[in-house]
Amino acid sequence: MRFSAPETIAEAAALLREDGARCLSGGQSLVAMMNADLVTPSTLVSLRRIRGLDRIETGADGRLTIGAMATHARVARHASASAGAELVIAAAGTIGHPAIRNQGTIGGSIAHADPAADYPTAITCADASVVIAGAAGERRVAAADFFKGFYETALEPGEIVIAVEVPPGAPGARAHYEKFALIDGDFAVVSAAAIIGMENGRCTFARLAIGACAAVPVRSAAAEERIVGTDLDDEAVREAADLLVQCCDPLDDFRGSASYRLKLVPRLLRRAIGSARQKAERARV
Amino acid sequence: MSDIHVHELNVNGEAHEVRFAATATLLDILRQQLGMTGAKRGCNQGVCGACTVLLDGAPVRSCLTLAANVGERQVMTVEGVQKDGMLSRVQQALLDSGAVQCGFCTPGIVIALEALLRERPMPDADEIRHALSGNLCRCSGYVKIVEAAVKAAGVAP
Amino acid sequence: MNAFVDPVGASLPRLEAREKVVGAARYIDDHARPGMLYAAIAQSPFAHARIRGYDVSRAKALAGVRAIVTGTDIPIRRVGGVLKDETMLAVGKVRYVGEPVAAVAARDLATARLAAQLIEVDYEPLPAVLSIDDALKPDAPVLHEDLDSYVRAMDGHSHGNVIWDSTLVEGDVDAAWARCDVIVEGTYRTPAQYHAYMEPNGVLAEVDGNGRITVLATCQSVHHVQTRVADELGIPMSQVRAQVSRVGGGFGGKHASNIHSIAAWLARASGKPVKLALSRTQDMEIQRSRHPAVIRLKTGACRDGTVIAREAEITLDGGAYADESPNVLAFAMLMVRGPYNVPNVRIRGRAVYTNKLRAGSFRGFGNPQAAFAGESQMDELAGKLGMDPVELRLRNAMRAGDRWIGGHTATTCQLVSCLEKVREAREAAPALPPPRPGRKRGTAVVAVAHISGLMGTSASVQMRGDGTFALNTGCVDIGQGSDTVMTQLCASVLQVPVDRIVYGTQDSDLSPYNWKTAGSRSTYMTGRAVVAATNIVRERILEHAAAMFECATADLELRPGGRVGIVGVPGKEVGFKDVALRSLFRSGGPIAGYHGFVFDGERFDPKRALIERLAFDNLGIYTFGAQCVEVEVDTVTGRVEVLRVWSAHDVGKAINPTSVEGQIQGGVVQGMGYALHEQLVWDDDGRLSNPSFADYKIPGILDAPAVIVPIVFEDPDPTGPFGAKGVGEISLVGIAPAIANAVCAATGARLRQIPMTPERVIDALEQS
Repeated sequence: MRFSAPETIAEAAALLREDGARCLSGGQSLVAMMNADLVTPSTLVSLRRIRGLDRIETGADGRLTIGAMATHARVARHASASAGAELVIAAAGTIGHPAIRNQGTIGGSIAHADPAADYPTAITCADASVVIAGAAGERRVAAADFFKGFYETALEPGEIVIAVEVPPGAPGARAHYEKFALIDGDFAVVSAAAIIGMENGRCTFARLAIGACAAVPVRSAAAEERIVGTDLDDEAVREAADLLVQCCDPLDDFRGSASYRLKLVPRLLRRAIGSARQKAERARV
Repeated sequence: MSDIHVHELNVNGEAHEVRFAATATLLDILRQQLGMTGAKRGCNQGVCGACTVLLDGAPVRSCLTLAANVGERQVMTVEGVQKDGMLSRVQQALLDSGAVQCGFCTPGIVIALEALLRERPMPDADEIRHALSGNLCRCSGYVKIVEAAVKAAGVAP
Repeated sequence: MNAFVDPVGASLPRLEAREKVVGAARYIDDHARPGMLYAAIAQSPFAHARIRGYDVSRAKALAGVRAIVTGTDIPIRRVGGVLKDETMLAVGKVRYVGEPVAAVAARDLATARLAAQLIEVDYEPLPAVLSIDDALKPDAPVLHEDLDSYVRAMDGHSHGNVIWDSTLVEGDVDAAWARCDVIVEGTYRTPAQYHAYMEPNGVLAEVDGNGRITVLATCQSVHHVQTRVADELGIPMSQVRAQVSRVGGGFGGKHASNIHSIAAWLARASGKPVKLALSRTQDMEIQRSRHPAVIRLKTGACRDGTVIAREAEITLDGGAYADESPNVLAFAMLMVRGPYNVPNVRIRGRAVYTNKLRAGSFRGFGNPQAAFAGESQMDELAGKLGMDPVELRLRNAMRAGDRWIGGHTATTCQLVSCLEKVREAREAAPALPPPRPGRKRGTAVVAVAHISGLMGTSASVQMRGDGTFALNTGCVDIGQGSDTVMTQLCASVLQVPVDRIVYGTQDSDLSPYNWKTAGSRSTYMTGRAVVAATNIVRERILEHAAAMFECATADLELRPGGRVGIVGVPGKEVGFKDVALRSLFRSGGPIAGYHGFVFDGERFDPKRALIERLAFDNLGIYTFGAQCVEVEVDTVTGRVEVLRVWSAHDVGKAINPTSVEGQIQGGVVQGMGYALHEQLVWDDDGRLSNPSFADYKIPGILDAPAVIVPIVFEDPDPTGPFGAKGVGEISLVGIAPAIANAVCAATGARLRQIPMTPERVIDALEQS
């Protein structure tokens, strides 16, 4: 195995075109898999020496840009200025443990595309874009299109995730990330993300996503439409949850059966919506 | 087989020239080449926390850190915690509180608590528990470790 | 007596704590030798298969490979506990996924692992049995076709896939049922728990110029490792030296040796030191688990709550090899009546083979399974009687002088005090803020007991020329603190500070015999030997001093700090150093004391109990306790959180109170993991689904209760060292039923299967 730590994105992209080359950011998934003999890359291309990849900044339009090499710990400590940011920041704080968060990065996490991981669900819910660089320059892919399947993304050989851009969401909206794991720091059995805007007791904005219940994070436009305009009554939320459940296709494993996971979806969604709503209403007062 | 790299690693304030394969982790190098066996291999998956070291002052898993990727960053291991042969307050408190049983997790606990107290000199029990949330201990039930950390921080339990 | 503090009863820091906090303690993988080779193991991919042959040519051809061993190279020497059914490497057949089939030593670990992968084994897969039910089917595939020919220490009625089959009867259960006003029945299931000691198993073996083997091991007994390696290599024990490294936890998992001989064999074959350090995954695949159990239990009581009958059928899943199954079975049977005076009891127990990892010794040793059934059912019985569960337990609780099943007398027993005390402590505890929406809280109390005495042990004490002492026993400190406790006992008898005693590390060439660090026996058993051996030394010191003062020994006393004085004459005294020098250079010879014994308690009473094929017949000295847990159940997700625990135990005498508390707190959390989420899971092919810490989850600090209150009763046992009894296992035993009962108290849902995963809790809530 070869190891390189180039100083430019172009060099890194060139190296990554090689068959069997893998991109190394924080290494918290990749090195664990190497230690377990699950992957043996021919070349590791470390992004560590490329300047500027770890910036976290909020633009004038409220858009939060998180560089691919920003660690979970830094994201989790960032002050949120919008509902979208709030959701992604909350998700960052639930990943693993402090030492994992000090090394793991958002770029590494989403490129790994574990459907039970926290960032994919959060950035999908937040309508974030993934900024990808390659030989042909940069392109942006909506998070919903970035995740293609179990550990599969829209990245082509020679492409690198360089940032995630999180739009603010509706003014006044608030977010909640409800993660359910069997034990602290573990992957989610199921997670539910919600961004909710409220005005005069009515829901004006809704973004919902479910994690760990399919090969990719689950969204349903119909579910979101079902609750917008309602006062988030039980029936509306239940029907929205049903619509999301119809999009889920969870696995059976030792963390929980598929049927248990499906059972959790409406339960966790209700908590996520309820918490986001409460924050949104409290913020208005 | 992997390319062999020659690097300078800065561990506990000292520069060491080491040769290693690209696949070698920082934990491999500390234990096998530098003879620093304080950091332990409990799971090699980043879960147990027994291999925790400080990288530029922040606790990280040395088993999930490739040695080739450390670069110029400063590594601190449990061997570097004592100053002039004196135990740190964290070490002394763990010893005094009966917080050490089999001791295999202890180096990781020491490192996690050193990092916490540098960042927050007077943490409360809840902050201590969160700071230790990535360090598994199978012997103690954690109660006396928290008591020790509270003692080390100089706050009343 | 100025600054001298009696070491017994003092919460002294661990003697080796300093080296542990500075990172200098050397566990097995921290050791290396010049020219050392690294070993790797080739493991079976099949749960059950015949081995047709091996091709090691590709492995042999790899540069750096120094030695290879397969099942064809080793003579068949079956080893084990009561039933000897296991070989160092699989021979002829593999019986579980992960079973070692071959091993390699090479100049580095990467080469060794590659070579192990290059060993080709020709397998003929056989149908596998993966559950107790499958194992007991009349046409089930048989794991051990030659079972009848295996050597055994006693008859266990082994047949087919049945490892052992025992019965234990007192009174007349059949007649008693008719007199019961209330009867409860249920089936309780428990999982395979993994020890998850933080240090994976490992061994470093080397051969000296005379061909003698030294095995450095992380283990629970050097004497056991020595015996096992000698047996497997077919050489006298005198040709094997076993030493111990620091041990990073054991909990029973390092109780029996199963990898040490592999390294020893490779060291002999290569002529080089060989280290075999298991990865975490290998440790999970190769070592052992707690026995999964199915327990059918029936209990009957009179209207007033007097329990008069209990019947149990215990079936343990022993995995592919017997290991400690006969003994774990026996102990589960002895414990399932519980610490209650129940006159009519009938217990049948079986352990069966399945094509899975062997099950064996694990903190509690069958008692946690028995207690989960027994103590869950006590609450069910209380519910049916309309009685308070603590009152039901108090009504039936054993008191001092009452007898355990089989007839052993509980010489000391503070069970009633323990029950009352945890209830009181719970009531006096500060109220918590109310639960968040969707969460419900409940509390429950259980009664538990365990033993402290079994098997043989010994100790020796020698006085050195400056009046300090060398204490040696075979008792290995696996993290629980026995080095410190033994030293405290010795120091207290001699009235010297603990730094005047050196406690020797265990070495089969030097250490007096000890069975194992197991069965909560170290403080009681080895502690007794230490006190007796030290008393011999004390007498010799007094004899020397008497000769020096020309007086009778009866006129002399030990004075704190290492002096002997004449009673009533403050100035008249002699230091230990002078006594020592006299013994070494002038008269009498070196001062030393030795004491060894095998457990000498009451035997079972054949007039009282009908006992058939029970693998234990000499054990006892009961420790009692009561445990109270407070849980919060999230009725939305099913997750159970343990908020607070009170755990009271009558330990006889706390030699080191902090260590006693540490044992209690640690056992509670390990018991909580057992109750709530820990289980090894096998897929339909018999492959472990979760052999890593990423997937097998033990409780972290945020999962563990922040409040675990240890409550210690000191009611000295007349035979114990300073009255002490064991406390190593008992705190784990009652946690699972306590949590199950508390979940029921909170929600009305009764779970009869652990772990009580959120999914199972939700299912139970929906059914209740």
